[in-house]
Order: sequence, then C-alpha cells, then structure tokens
Amino acid sequence: MKQSGDIVLEVRELVKRYGDTVAVDGVSFSVRAREIFGILGPNGAGKTTTLECIETLRPVDAGTIFLGGLNVRAQAQEVKRIIGVQLQSSSFFDKLSLSELLVLFGEMYGRHVDPLALLDEVELRDKSRSQVVQLSGGQKQRFSIAAALVNDPVVMFLDEPTTGLDPQARRHLWGVIKRIRSEGKTVVITTHYMDEAEELCDRVAIMDAGKIIAMAPPHEMIDALVAGGFRRERVERLASLEDVFLNLTGHTIRDE
Amino acid sequence: MRIQWMLTLASLKMFIRQREAILWTILFPLLVVILFGFVRFNGVGKIELGVVNEAGAQGADLLSRIKAVRTIEVSEGTRDSEMAELGKGERDLVLIIPAGYAPAGGATDLTAFGDLEAKPQVTQLGGLVLQRVLDETTFAAAPGVRRSTLSTLPFKSRNLTYIDFLLPGILSMSIMQMGIFGVAFSFVSLKKRGILRRLWVTPIRPGDFIIAQVAMRLLVLLVQMTIMVGVGVLFLNLHFIGNLALICLLGILGGVVFLGFGFSLAGISKSEDQVAPLANIITLPMLALSGIFFSRSNLPGFVRAATSVFPLTFLADGLRSVAIDGAAVAQVMPQILGLALWGAVSCALAIRLFRWE
Ligand SMILES: Nc1ncnc2c1ncn2[C@@H]1O[C@H](COP(=O)(O)OP(=O)(O)O)[C@@H](O)[C@H]1O
Ligand SMILES: [Mg+2]
Repeated sequence: MKQSGDIVLEVRELVKRYGDTVAVDGVSFSVRAREIFGILGPNGAGKTTTLECIETLRPVDAGTIFLGGLNVRAQAQEVKRIIGVQLQSSSFFDKLSLSELLVLFGEMYGRHVDPLALLDEVELRDKSRSQVVQLSGGQKQRFSIAAALVNDPVVMFLDEPTTGLDPQARRHLWGVIKRIRSEGKTVVITTHYMDEAEELCDRVAIMDAGKIIAMAPPHEMIDALVAGGFRRERVERLASLEDVFLNLTGHTIRDE
Repeated sequence: MRIQWMLTLASLKMFIRQREAILWTILFPLLVVILFGFVRFNGVGKIELGVVNEAGAQGADLLSRIKAVRTIEVSEGTRDSEMAELGKGERDLVLIIPAGYAPAGGATDLTAFGDLEAKPQVTQLGGLVLQRVLDETTFAAAPGVRRSTLSTLPFKSRNLTYIDFLLPGILSMSIMQMGIFGVAFSFVSLKKRGILRRLWVTPIRPGDFIIAQVAMRLLVLLVQMTIMVGVGVLFLNLHFIGNLALICLLGILGGVVFLGFGFSLAGISKSEDQVAPLANIITLPMLALSGIFFSRSNLPGFVRAATSVFPLTFLADGLRSVAIDGAAVAQVMPQILGLALWGAVSCALAIRLFRWE
C-alpha cells in the first residue's frame, strides 16, 4: 500500500431500496486520502447506486455517509462543491466545444478554469475545439474525467470508466487515473474487470447483491486465497491472450 | 446571477448552432407568411356592409330589406365603430341612415362611404343595390313620394391585406411551437441522455438551469418577433402601426404560457415518442381554431365561444390588435389578463409535473 492518509469518505450501514429491490443492503467502508479505492462487482451488484447515494443524487433509506467532514445527507450542497463525478451513463451538451463545456462547468462552481490545462491533464488538448459527439469512447471517458476535475475536487468518483474500451484505451485511462491520484486526489472507482482492480486499486471492496463481501488490498486477497490452499486448475501461463494482442497491436492508443 | 447568465449564454450558443432550430423558429414561419400571403383569398364574395342606423324605428324597414338581400352581409354599429372597421378594410361600404330619415317622409339624402379607389367594383355594385332597396322601401311606404337618393362618398381605407391578418397569427403560432415543442423535446432528450443528472452533481440549482432555459427562449422569441415584423414591414407591405414594446410584452406573456406547458409535457414524458402526440393534441386544435390562418368569425357560435378562451386566441388577437389596429394597453387588457391567467395555470402545472428523471 502507498501512503495512507486520513479518512476522507466514510460510509456506514448504507441502505437503498427501489420499491421491493434492496439495491444497497447495509454497506460500510471508508476511503483514505490519496488512495484509489475500487468497488468490484458484477452488473446489478449495487455499485452505481452506492456511488449515486454518496454523490447526493439519490435519497438514502438508512445509514450515514461522511465525506470530507461533511454529512452527505444533510449537507448535499457543500458536498457537491468538493466532489468530482463521472457518471456511468451520462453525456454532455451537444454543440459546445470541449473548452466551452469545461469553462461552463467551472462557472457552475464559481471558478474560472483554464480549459487547456484541464485537457492536458487527460491528453485531449488537440480536441479542445471538438464537440463531445466527435470523440471516441476512450476520449469521451477522458473528457468526462476532465469535467470532473474543474472544481479541483477532494474525491473523484469514476463509475466503470473503462467499460467498453479497447485494451489500449483502457491502459491509457489507467495512466490518467494514476496521475490524478499522484497529484493528490482520492479516487473511488467501480469496475467489473479484475485485472483493472488489481492494477489500479490500493484497496478493493467486492460487492455482490447489494452487500460488500470482501474488502482488502488486491494482493492480500490473492495471498489469503492461496494460503487457504486454493490452486488454479491450470497453472497460469506466462502470458495471456491480451498480452499477445497488445504485443501485436502495440500500446499506442487508436482512438484518435 | 452570474451562473444563470452564463447558462443562458451557453444555451443560446447551443441553440444558434443548431441549424434546424433556426430553420424552424425563423425561416419556417416567414415562409408560411410569404406563401400564404401571396395566395389571394378575395374571390367575389358578399358585400360587407356596415349600417349605422341613426333614424331608430324609422330606419327599421329599410334595414330589414337590406338584410334580406342575399349578396349583402350586414353589420350594425355606431358611426365611429363602423367607420373604423371601414378604415381597416373590414367593410366594403358603410351606409348611414341619418336621424331625420323616414320612408314616407319625402326625399332624404343618404350617404354611404367606401374606398372607391381600392374597391371600385364592390363599391359601385353595392351603391346600385342599396339605391334599389331604398327605392323599394320608399315605394312600399308611400308610393307617390319622391325617391330618396343615395350618394357614395370616397373613403380612404388602410386596405389591410391577408398578410396583416396572417403575420401576427403566425408569430403567435411559432411562439406556441417554440414553447411547447422546443422545450418538451429538448428537455426529454437532456433527461434521457443523462445530461441533467450530470448537472445535478454540480452545485447549480435546478431553478438556475430552468431560468436560463426560459431566458434563452424569451430572447430568441424577441429576436424572432423583430425579424418577422421587420420583414413584414419592409418586404410584405405589413401595415404595422403598433407599439413594439406592447407587442413584446404580449409575446413574452404568451411565451411564458407555452413554456409552462412545454415543461409540463417534459415532466410527464419519458421519451420523445411520448412528447409528440401530447404536444400535437394540445397544439393542433389551437392551430385550427384560434384564428391563426382564418378569422374565427366564421365559426359556429358555440365553437367560437369555446375557442375564445384558448391561450393562442388571446395571443393572436392581442398581437393582431396591437400590430394592425394600434391598440393600446387598455384595449388589449382582456388578452393580457387571459394570458396571465393561462400563464399562472401552466406554470403551476409545470411545477407540479416537472421531473428531473
Ligand atoms: N432507478 C432504478 N429503479 C429501480 N431499480 C433500480 C434503479 N437503478 C438500479 N436499480 C436496481 O438496483 C440494483 C443495483 O443496480 P446498480 O446500482 O445499477 O448496479 P451496478 O452499478 O453494480 O451494475 C439492480 O438490481 C438494478 O436493477
Ligand atoms: Mg453500474
């Protein structure tokens, strides 16, 4: 584990229902400053719902959430000022350029942002005059991260940012996320890719059917499993098909 | 304040960059006016006659005989009101039955007024027909009495054309379309694509965004009205004598009414497919019956009564009175109040029905 800091996000016994469905069923976890915290789980596990409760987008049925010393349920407006959010499925206005969008989003926080600096952060400077519809999948996700950075947030929430991207674009995005963390941000990311969690996250919570069923740094989970006598049926080959693919097609991103 | 202004500017930018939007809000209404304006609707219809009966019971027989003539459509009124109608081109002739007139009372000179220059045939024909009816009336009352004569005097009317009727109507129509279709479609799409959700994780308040959207559309509406009136006056011979500020006030009131309905529709619809039929159900009856293309005076009585309270009727009538008759605030007060009432209803509805998701 890298540097561990103070706790910036604390979720306790969070419950969220949609009618009869219990989407989040008593979830508790805390996230430390400057860590990349992963929530790993299959589709429908409740990852998005958990994030949206923290992001003040959904009323909570039970439990407490503290973020940066603020009570999320009571101080939604203040919380919004210090978080940066990439939603799983959301888009941006058409007809505005990336630069114009970033300036507009900055204004929503009362900030005058430098759009090119933000675009540099996600390696999209040359697209500053393009519109979101003209971007590839990977570029869209990177732009979405830039938009989440306009308010210099304390915590960033990224909901399945790499789903649907090709291997090169995923790797590129991992680089961006790691750099953002190295600049002092805390990142909460959801994914259903194990390799991604293993590569990126300092700690992961594995979620299924609304509950967290395990939480630890990825290598500790693997060590514990192995120590418990687990062996793969077939010994891992020294390379995977993805390695073959990347070796053949190269690491350079294709989407621009 | 600042963020609302920034959002308004951004919305305006987005709107202007949408070619279709410009097409529909500015070019299309103009095109309709131009196309319809050049179609001539003045086939030889009835003679529109205004009668001012100042002779009371003595004039009754003459009046009823005139009314019996098939080719004449009679309206009665005071001298002032009928002459005003004549001025607008709503009457072909106005006949004055003077106070001293009596069918059996000997020769009296009657006068009719008409725009002899602009409508030579109708006024001449009308004069002849009226003289004949006058003679019949005299003969029936006292066969021996010398005939009264009718002289037709020239009167310069403003000779309003169909464009003068149509343009304020089309303006009202496009205000309605922008409010209802514009808002409902764009908000449903913003909702569906998750664009609004993304906004709600920033500190802006939903109200800021709504205010910006309304402000943007009202600005567009003002520009649209200016362009339409300008093109009308410069190229289409629009007889505009109204007060522009009053036109704008009515336009904005109407805009608020229809924006309110637009937000209500956006509230109850989940997709564009749901918006379209609802929007059509609201707008089509008004398009047909609010006197946009054709005067409501030809509608059957109960339909006319019912449609007189449509918001589009208030808007079209108000804009028309101000633009063409130069009506002042007091004269369009019924329309202003009607629109204000509808505005209150539609905004209340929007507040109840509007949903972000
Ligand atoms: N708006 C909603 N209304 C009703 N049920 C929902 C809604 N959003 C999610 N759910 C349900 O809640 C559960 C968790 O969903 P979600 O949080 O999206 O999972 P994940 O992000 O892990 O795929 C699922 O069973 C899903 O069907
Ligand atoms: Mg999800």
